[in-house]
Amino acid sequence: MKKIIALISCMFGLFVFMNVYHEPQVDAAEKTYTIGTDVTFPPFVYANSNNKYVGIDMELIRSIAKEEGFKVDIKPIGFNAAVQSLSSGQIDGVIAGMTITDERREKFDFSTPYYKSGIVMAVAPKSDVKSLKDLKGKRVAVKTGTSGATYANSIKDRYGFKTVTFDDSDNVYNDVKNGNSAACFDDSAVLNYGVKTGLGLKVVTKPTDTGSYGFAVEKGKNKELMAKFNSGLKKLKANGQYDKIIKKYTGESATSSQKKANDKADSEGHTFIGLIKQNKSAILEGIFETIKLTVVSIICATIFGVLVGLLGVLPSKVARGASTTIIYIFRGLPLLVLALFIYNGVPSLTGSKVPAFIAGIITLTLNEGAYTAAFVKGGIAAVDPGQMEAARSLGLPFGRSMRKVILPQGIKIMIPSFINQFIITLKDTSILSIIGILELTQTGKIIIARNLEGFKIWTIIALIYLIIITVLTLLSKWVERRIND
Amino acid sequence: MKNLKVDVTDLKKNFGDNHVLKGIDFKVAQNEVVVLIGPSGSGKSTLLRCLNRLEEPTSGKVIIDGNNISDSKTNIDQARENIGMVFQHFNLFNNLTVGQNVELAPVELGKMSKEEAVNAAKQLLSTVGLDDKYDAMPQSLSGGQKQRVAIARALAMNPDIMLFDEPTSALDPEMVGDVLTVMKDLAKKGMTMVVVTHEMGFAKEVADRVVFMADGKVMEEGKPEEVFDNPQNERTKTFLEKVINV
Ligand SMILES: Nc1ncnc2c1ncn2[C@@H]1O[C@H](COP(=O)(O)OP(=O)(O)OP(=O)(O)O)[C@@H](O)[C@H]1O
Ligand SMILES: [Mg+2]
Repeated sequence: MKKIIALISCMFGLFVFMNVYHEPQVDAAEKTYTIGTDVTFPPFVYANSNNKYVGIDMELIRSIAKEEGFKVDIKPIGFNAAVQSLSSGQIDGVIAGMTITDERREKFDFSTPYYKSGIVMAVAPKSDVKSLKDLKGKRVAVKTGTSGATYANSIKDRYGFKTVTFDDSDNVYNDVKNGNSAACFDDSAVLNYGVKTGLGLKVVTKPTDTGSYGFAVEKGKNKELMAKFNSGLKKLKANGQYDKIIKKYTGESATSSQKKANDKADSEGHTFIGLIKQNKSAILEGIFETIKLTVVSIICATIFGVLVGLLGVLPSKVARGASTTIIYIFRGLPLLVLALFIYNGVPSLTGSKVPAFIAGIITLTLNEGAYTAAFVKGGIAAVDPGQMEAARSLGLPFGRSMRKVILPQGIKIMIPSFINQFIITLKDTSILSIIGILELTQTGKIIIARNLEGFKIWTIIALIYLIIITVLTLLSKWVERRIND
Repeated sequence: MKNLKVDVTDLKKNFGDNHVLKGIDFKVAQNEVVVLIGPSGSGKSTLLRCLNRLEEPTSGKVIIDGNNISDSKTNIDQARENIGMVFQHFNLFNNLTVGQNVELAPVELGKMSKEEAVNAAKQLLSTVGLDDKYDAMPQSLSGGQKQRVAIARALAMNPDIMLFDEPTSALDPEMVGDVLTVMKDLAKKGMTMVVVTHEMGFAKEVADRVVFMADGKVMEEGKPEEVFDNPQNERTKTFLEKVINV
C-alpha cells in the first residue's frame, strides 16, 4: 500500500514538472502575448497537414510580431471559446476572421481593418438555384454566430426560405452537398477558397453586406499590443508583405497547390490507414494530452475525493456538513459549466489567468472528486457499524479504529467504484475540448474541420478511446487483485 | 455494598420522543455477577451500552471504577480499556485473522509488545478452547467459535469488568454450551460481569443477583432463587411464565 502511494506521488510530481516545463518561458526583453483564434476558418486560419496553424491571420500576426519585436503564443481554441476567453482576460487578443460590429465594439477594441469581406451564397454543383429569388420555400444552412447566419436570417422573410443552424462548417457544407439544404451563406473569402480547393460547392452570388475583419483586445486593455498591431500592419502594407500574404492564400497558385494537396489526401485519405498516416503526429499528441489529463486528474480527484469522503464520516457535524455540501455542489454542476466557470468565469472576476490545462485539472478534480467522495462515504457506511463499536469498546480511538478496521474493509467495497470512476474520468477529459485543450476529441474536431471525414475520423477517435479504456481497466484490475491478496 | 465497580444513579436515555430508560439506579460490586433480564425493548441493551458510553446518557450519572463515564470531559477511550464488551453478533474484525483480532488493541494501545501480545493471544485462545484457530479468518468460524474469540479479544485488554449483551442469542443451540462454559469459568475466577441473557439456567447457576427490567425501569432485583422462585412484581411473574413455558 505504501509503495503504491509512493509511486503515485512520484508520477504526480513528474507530471506537474512536465507541465510547468511546457509553459512558454517569459522573456524579459520580448513580451509574449497569448492570441486566441478559430480552429478552422480557411484561408484565414487552419491547420496544415503538419498540424501547424497557417492562413492569412496567422501569417499577419506572426509577421507583425516579428516587425514589432514581440512574441505570440497562438491558441486555436475555436471562435466562441476565443471570444469568451478574451472577455474574461484569459488571453490577450483574438484574430479569427472576426467581423467588426457595433455589438462587438461594446466589449472589445478593434484594430484598423485588415481585410474586407462580404457574404456570398453557395449551392451544390448541379443545383439550379441561381439567385436569392430561387430560394422560396427552400431550406438554407448556416453556421452559428457567423455574419453569414445573421445575413441569412435578416432576409429569409423577404425571400421566403427557412434556415437551419449548425455548429461546424463541415456540417453546413455537407447539408448542402447531400441536398438537404438548397444553399448556404458564408464569408466570400472563405467560400471562394473552399470552392477553389475542392469543397464541391459553387458560389452563385456577388459579395453583399460587406464588412471588415479586425484584430481585437479586451476593451480598454492591452493598449500597447493594439498599438503594435496597428503600426505593424501599416508597415506590412507599406513594404508589400501584406499583399504577398493575401496573394499566397487567395491567389491561383495557392489555391491550386492546396487543391492538389487535398486531392492527394483524397486519393490516399479515403482509407482509415491513409487518414491515420496523414494525421499521425496530431493524433499522437492528442492521445498524449488525453492520457496526461487523465492520469493527473485521477490522482488529484482521488486524493481530493478520499479526503472529502473521510470528512463525511467524522463524528463532527460541521465536518459532515462540509463534506455533504462539497459533494452536492460539485456533483450537481454539469462538467461543462464547471469547466467554463473555472476557465472563463473565475478569471474575469479575479483578473488572474488560469492556464487551460490547470483549469481542466481543477474541473475534473472537483467533479470526479465529488463522485469519489460520495462512494468513499458510502463504502465506509457499508461496513457493519458493529465493527466500529467493537473497536471503540476496546478503547481504540476513532481514528485508529477507522484506519485499522473500517477503512481496510471499506476500501474493498469501494474498489469497483474506483475503477468505474477512473474510466469516467478518462471519458470526461473529452469535455475539456470546450476550453481549447488539444486533447483527443479536440484533435478530432480539428482534423475533421480540415478534411470533412467525420465518420472515419470519429471512428478512429472512438477506437482509440476504447483501447485506452481497455488498458486502464486491465491496469485497475491488476491493482485490485494485488490489494485483495 | 462496598467496592462498587458500577454505580449508576437516575440514568435516563431518550431516543427522540422515545423514553427508553426512565431513571435507573444500578450498582455492581467487585467480583459480582449480575444478570439482566426483561422483555424485548425494555432497555437492557441500552443500559449496558450506557456503561461504556456507546450510548450517550440523556441525564444521570454513570460511574465505573470511580471514573465518571457520563462526564464528557472523561477520557472515554482510556476508561473503555478497562471495560470489556461482548456483542450478540460477535463483531469480529473481518479484515483480520483470529490472532490479529485478539492482538490489535493491546498492541495499538501500547499495553504489550507485539511478541507479548502474540503469546497472550495464544494463551487466551487456548483457554477458550481455540488454540488451532490462531491463523483462521473469522468468516471460517462457527458462531460459537466466533463468540469465544470475541471473549478472548475483550479479555486481552485485561479488563476489570465484562459486559455481555445476549452473547448466546445468535447461536445454534448446540453451540450455546461452549460459550456459557467460558463465561462460567470467567465468573469463577472472580470477574465482575454484567450479563444480558435469556439463559435462565445460567442465571440460576452463576448469578449473584438478577435484575428484572421492564419499560425502562428496574422492576425487581434479588438473588436468583428469590426472583425466579418467588417473584414479587406482577410483570416479573408474567415474564417468567412466558420464558419458562417456551
Ligand atoms: N439507536 C437507537 N435509536 C433509536 N431508538 C433506539 C436505538 N436503540 C434502541 N432504541 C429503542 O430503545 C428501546 C429499547 O431498546 P433496547 O435495545 O435497549 O431493548 P432490549 O431490552 O435490549 O431489547 P431486546 O431484548 O430486544 O434486545 C427500543 O424501543 C428501541 O427501539
Ligand atoms: Mg438488546
